[in-house]
Order: sequence, then C-alpha cells, then structure tokens
Amino acid sequence: MTTANAAMFQASSLNHRNARVQSLYRILFGVMTLMLIAPVMMILGTLIYKGGGVISWEFLFTAPTDGMRTGGVLPALLGTVWLVTVALLLSVPIGVFAAIYLSEYAGDNWFTRIINLAIINLAGVPSIVHALFGLGAFVIFFKFGTSILAASLTLAVMTMPVVIVATRESLQSVPPAFREACWNMGATRWQTIRKVVLPNSITGILTGVILEVSRTAGETAPIMFTGAVFFTPFLPQSVFDQTMALSLHLFVAATQVPGIAEEVPFGIALVLIGLVLLMNSASIAFRMWLRGKKKW
Amino acid sequence: MTAAPAAALLQPAPEYAIDTKKLNLWYGTFQALYEVDLQIRKGMITSMIGPSGCGKSTYLRSVNRINERLGYVRIEGSIEVMGQNIYDSDVELIQVRKQVGMVFQRPNPLPISIRDNILFSHRLHAKGGGGVHQGTPDEIVEESLRTVLLWDKVKDRLKRKATELSLEEQQKLCIARLLPVKPTLLLMDEPCSALDPKGTEAVEELLWELRGQYTILIVTHNMAQARRASEECIFMLMGRVVEHALTEEMFVTPTHKETADYIEGRYG
Repeated sequence: MTTANAAMFQASSLNHRNARVQSLYRILFGVMTLMLIAPVMMILGTLIYKGGGVISWEFLFTAPTDGMRTGGVLPALLGTVWLVTVALLLSVPIGVFAAIYLSEYAGDNWFTRIINLAIINLAGVPSIVHALFGLGAFVIFFKFGTSILAASLTLAVMTMPVVIVATRESLQSVPPAFREACWNMGATRWQTIRKVVLPNSITGILTGVILEVSRTAGETAPIMFTGAVFFTPFLPQSVFDQTMALSLHLFVAATQVPGIAEEVPFGIALVLIGLVLLMNSASIAFRMWLRGKKKW
Repeated sequence: MTAAPAAALLQPAPEYAIDTKKLNLWYGTFQALYEVDLQIRKGMITSMIGPSGCGKSTYLRSVNRINERLGYVRIEGSIEVMGQNIYDSDVELIQVRKQVGMVFQRPNPLPISIRDNILFSHRLHAKGGGGVHQGTPDEIVEESLRTVLLWDKVKDRLKRKATELSLEEQQKLCIARLLPVKPTLLLMDEPCSALDPKGTEAVEELLWELRGQYTILIVTHNMAQARRASEECIFMLMGRVVEHALTEEMFVTPTHKETADYIEGRYG
C-alpha cells in the first residue's frame, strides 16, 4: 500500500473544523436543555425544602383557622377539585366534539377559517380578560352568582382552545388512507370516526385533556371574580356554592395574611402541584390502559 | 373504439357489468374524460392501460363515485352498473360502495386485527338485509381468506394486527375484505405497483381465481401485467378511449397507431 492511498482516508483540516463545529452545537443544545429543566427542578426543590415540613394529614384534611394562619387547606383543596372537574365536564365534550366536526366534517372554506381564527384568538386572550367576561356573562347576565358553576364556565371557555387544538391535531395524525378504506366499504362518516379515527387518536386527545387539567387547576384570575372566595368555613355542597380554591388561597396566604408562618404558602403550593400531578397521573394511567387495550 | 370483440358474435349477447354512456368528467375547469363509452363484460377481467394522466384512474374512480368526494368534480353522461345508472338521484351511495369494491395502489388494511378487517364491511352492511354472506363470522373469515389464498398463511394469527402482514398479504387481505358483502364489481387501481414481482404474480394468480364470480376492472401501468392478467383491454389517451379489444388481439394486432406506439414503448 502506498502512502498516497493511505492519505485518502486521513482526516483533512476541513473534517477537523466540521467536527469542532458539530461538537460546539451539540454542547449548545445540551446546555439549553439543561436550562429548560433547571427552573422546574429549582421550583420543586424549593417547595419541598421549604414547604415539605408543614404537609401532614392534618394540613390536608382540616379547614384553616385563626385567620388562615393555622389549620389546613381542605376547603381549598376540595374547591379546586370541584372547579377542575366541573370545568372538564363542560369543556371536554364541547371541545372534542367541535374538533371532530372541524376536522372530519367541515370542509376548508371561509367559514371554518374564521372559526380557526377565533380559536387561536381565544387561546391568546389574557386570563384576566376571561375573568371579566365570566363576571359579566355568567355571574351577572346568566345570574349564576359567584359560584362554582360560573367559575368553572369561565375556566372552560378559557381552556377550550387547548382541547380543540390538541384534539384536531391528534385526529389529523390518523392517516387519510384509513378513512378512505372505510368510506370505500360504505361506512358513513360517523362509523368511520367511531371505529377507526377515534380509537387511533384517543391517546392524543387525552394528552390535550391532561394539559387542560394543569392549566385549569393553577389559574387564579378567572376564578377570583366568578366563584372563588378568600375564606369560607363551609365545604361546597353544589355547583351553586362559592368555594375556596388552592390557587387563590396561595395568593391570599402569600400576600394578604400578616403574621403567617413562612412555610405555609410553600406548603399550599406543594399541595397544588401534588394535586395536578395526581390528576395528570390518573389520566396518563387511563391513557396507557387504553393503549394497552387498543380495542376501543 | 372498436365494436364488441369478434368472439362475442358467436355467443349469445354478452352481459355487461358496466355500461358507460357518453361520460364527460371535469375537475373544476379541466376536462379529464371525453365522451367515454365503455361496456365491461360481466365476469371477465378487463384491464385499462395508458400513459399517466390519460383518465384511466379517473374513470375507475367514477365507477364507485369516490371521485365526487373531492367536491369540484362535475359529471355528464351515465354509468350503469348491472343496468342501474349509479348517478341517478335515488341511488344510495352506501349501496354503490357495497356493490362496487375498490382496491388501491397502496394496500390500506385498517389498523385492527386480520379477522376484524374481514368482518368490517360485513358488520356495516349485515343488518341492512339481503345481499351479504349469510354464514357465521368464523365461516366468513375462513371463506374470504381461502378465496384470496391467504387462509393457510394467517389462520393461526387472525387476532394479530393486519398492518403486521407483508405488503402482498395486506393487498390480498384488502381484496378479501370486500368479498363478504358480495360485491358485483371489483375495481383495482394499480394493485401491484407497491409489490415485488413475486407478490405481483401472487395477486395476478388471485385475479384468475376470482374471475367468473366477480367482474374485475384493473388499471395498470404494467403492460406485461395487462397482457398476462386480463381478457379484454382498454387503451386510453388524453381522456378518450382509443381502443377496446380482446387483450390478445390488442397486443398482437392493435388497430390504432397510438395503441401500437404505446404498447411498443415509444412513449409512456
């Protein structure tokens, strides 16, 4: 073998330079990824470090006492569960069905384009505007008063775009060939949707619902004027009651209550995050169960 | 186009599965079919050949009215399937789709089990009364899969997903799942173009098995396939039918210069 042949396979200076650039970018992307998870870790770490101490069965299952300086978070915890559940019951059917209509039935014309524009705009409206809308529409105009119903309706309106967009995207990820196959065998649109499209997109739809749960549970502004109160010693009995909510309770405890122990707000925040994680895990478990079944 | 093939003159008047009269079709302002008159013999395999864009797929797709889903398709003339104009206003689209099965270029089994694929169409139509296979689900599955020569290969994995099969098997399954509702007509749009030579041969063999019981209309780009796997052949060019003859006659003594040029590969 001659030296000339060997040189053909040696790295040139250009190869070296390209390799250096390549590793630089790799480091850059890696660092950015770290920066992404760093805040999450810091928030969780701080909350557990500062608020972990106050978490106890008593904290979870008793009402606040002494002007919210002592006692637990039960009314707020239950209130948030109420608000999220009612908001989901309202927004998931509407959002999912509307998305099915838009993606499976409606064509692409000026009317559906306007609807799409409206959905995007709805998603961009600040939550305080939703709050005022909820106050005007549900509390005053529909005379629901400040109640779980009015607050959940407001939350539902606010989070509906998330459900619609997630549902549409997962419906559109079902290959068109499946639909064609169905139509060609004489299936109606609904039969096609029920037997082929939904079973193949249900997991994506649930992902949208999970996102919505997180957002709904954490929102403060939309419920402040519409159904959540600073303090009530009563647990909600129906959707027409006012209620406490974890997010608002956290805001109040952190800013409005003088002389409160420093770790209490951290504890409340930890409960809120724990609740969201719990609800998310439940829907993730449901999603995995469906995927395993794959029958539906 | 030529008159009915010579051999037919010796026999009683041939029965037509499809009788197309003066079919014109536009996609928006583009006219894709011009004055198409075609009689497709019942129980035979008829192939359609011609260069891309000649209108053969368009014709095929108007025989089960799948074209009109595009929304901007306009049609004049008539297509009679077993004597009934399928464009009449009192014709139910769902029934057209049941009577006229379609097989696509890419096999498109549903992402459900092999068994459920076979029964899918039957379940859609069974409650509507007559005209479907009357057996039990197990019988239907076995008979359909036997007909497409697939039973022995898949009988032990009927619960497995159909999308796990090889392309050739998928395509056979796509043919098999049309059979339980007893269609009159099977349309095939280049059914072998995604398959290797062995798969192609297997599907062609299957076509001959189905011949007689079903009328088959197959669009193909593969002239050798048209020659091997059809009894009559239609050559189309620029949206018009140029020649319609017995396959052996068309490939040996084409009557039109365009046909001869295309068959000999001078354009395509």
